[in-house]
Amino acid sequence: MKAAGIALLIGALAALPRFVESTYVLHLLILVFINAVAGSAWNLVGGYAGQYSIGHAAYFGVGAYTTMLLMQLKAVAPWWGVWVGAGAALATALVIGSICFRLRGPYFVLASIAVAEIFRVTALNVKGLTNGAEGILATEIPPLRFGAAVVTDWSTKVPFYYAGLGFAIAVVAVSVLVSRSKLGYYFQAIREDQDAAHSLGIDLTFYKNAALAISAVFTSLAGSLFGVYVGFIDPSTVLPLELSVQIVMICLIGGIGTIAGPMIGAAVLIPLSEGLRSNALTDALVGAGIVGAESKTGAFLKENLAHAHVLIYGILVVIVILFLPEGVVGLFKAPRPASAGRGWPKAG
Amino acid sequence: MELRGVSKFFGGLAANAGVSFDVNAGEIVGLIGPNGAGKTTLFNCIVGYDPPSKGDVIFDGRRINGLRPDAVCKLGMARTWQKVRPLANLSVLDNVVVGALRRTNSVRAAAVAAREELRRVGLEAKEAMPAGALPIGERKKLEVARVLATRPKMLLLDEVMGGLNPAESEAMIALLLEIRAAGITQMVIEHDMKAIMRLSDRVVVLSSGETLAEGTPREIVANPRVIEAYLGADE
Repeated sequence: MKAAGIALLIGALAALPRFVESTYVLHLLILVFINAVAGSAWNLVGGYAGQYSIGHAAYFGVGAYTTMLLMQLKAVAPWWGVWVGAGAALATALVIGSICFRLRGPYFVLASIAVAEIFRVTALNVKGLTNGAEGILATEIPPLRFGAAVVTDWSTKVPFYYAGLGFAIAVVAVSVLVSRSKLGYYFQAIREDQDAAHSLGIDLTFYKNAALAISAVFTSLAGSLFGVYVGFIDPSTVLPLELSVQIVMICLIGGIGTIAGPMIGAAVLIPLSEGLRSNALTDALVGAGIVGAESKTGAFLKENLAHAHVLIYGILVVIVILFLPEGVVGLFKAPRPASAGRGWPKAG
Repeated sequence: MELRGVSKFFGGLAANAGVSFDVNAGEIVGLIGPNGAGKTTLFNCIVGYDPPSKGDVIFDGRRINGLRPDAVCKLGMARTWQKVRPLANLSVLDNVVVGALRRTNSVRAAAVAAREELRRVGLEAKEAMPAGALPIGERKKLEVARVLATRPKMLLLDEVMGGLNPAESEAMIALLLEIRAAGITQMVIEHDMKAIMRLSDRVVVLSSGETLAEGTPREIVANPRVIEAYLGADE
């Protein structure tokens, strides 16, 4: 029953580009996929292992920069470059993990933020390699060939859509496998009580690093796809703190520590933030006849509401966290016992 | 297991000072002493949670001080916590599965082993409940089931009867005796003297971090120094 539902959903998503012509809808869905992949990746280390990294932009950026630089400087096709990017993110994760996992709870969170900021500032200043704040523009993606046949020349959004869908399916499959394996049990034991987990024979350093490593690989895939899709990256789009926070938000809104949570979170948050930014709210208010397009209020909203999108987005996030502490997924679940809170990872 | 001059200092304060005694395979050793005597500190020293400042812990012919708790657990020594530490959001079964995964990589095999331990402590009917929802008595049982699932050679039990009602205590005593019959060595911290006297093959008394006395339960209750430590000196 459940498997049938999932197969149906995947089938529908796979068939969607045949029926949807709108490039805007495809664009939104590609962004949803990219964010769902990054969110699910974060969920492995944050939701399952309970290590709240707020520095995942580092892996997103490492992936994006590696793939884009390889493509622009060495003419390496992105479908090879992404794997190099994933390898680079994996190496980065092991270095960061071996340092930051010496810290617990809030101290780990702070360290993860600091490390990601180091990456951003470095990318800004190593101008010889990264072009600094000017960023990297992808001039042309080589066509993907299979034998002699050209699979795609990347001129439409459709190939990016399938790449995003593929990554999303992959990250969900890996999450399901992990959650049902020894790894998943150990991750959750560490989240619930580090000391108890340690005394039950769980090597904390090893398993925390394992969670971060898997997470970093998928985050970098999301970053690489984003870079190649948008065709331009700079430190303020693929390495900012806002991105790290957004990745966490997707999980918080959708439902932390669940497979579906990050998917739902991305599907809710991304269209919402894009819609607010493009002034869809004003259009809707005007369209519904609540405010006249020519009235003073209408003009004011048109002028200012889009600028307030971050504010509205923030308020909505607060409302969701207040009323749905387990995220959207919590709506579909039986209530948990009152004593079993989803706490901050225990410090000390 | 042997302790050789185990000391633990917190700043200038000696929580344990030169504690030495042996625990022989298959026996139950009771560890008693007034509050603040350093019983839990000694447990923390032994399992590597808070390694000793001085002295050696020898387990199975191997020096284990300096090893981390996970390594100690792999060698076959497991402990419970005085303040129980259930993995609150995981089910009762999954808590024990985590312990059982110590010996296998297969979740399925671990679940089989975990159900066995739950039956042993009498929690099989509650396996689907979140561990955080259990009352204290059952949390203690869960704690024991979880360490048993790691298949230890030796168990360190820190007040597994604290907070239990008489019937529950009785069941716990029966369980610990059954564990001993299975050949698992135990060291038991307990405040309930009656329970200690019934359980222990030997008793070690700690007072202010030092070994005050060591002997059979009968010897201990007759020892004037022990009586003095517990009740104060008779002027």
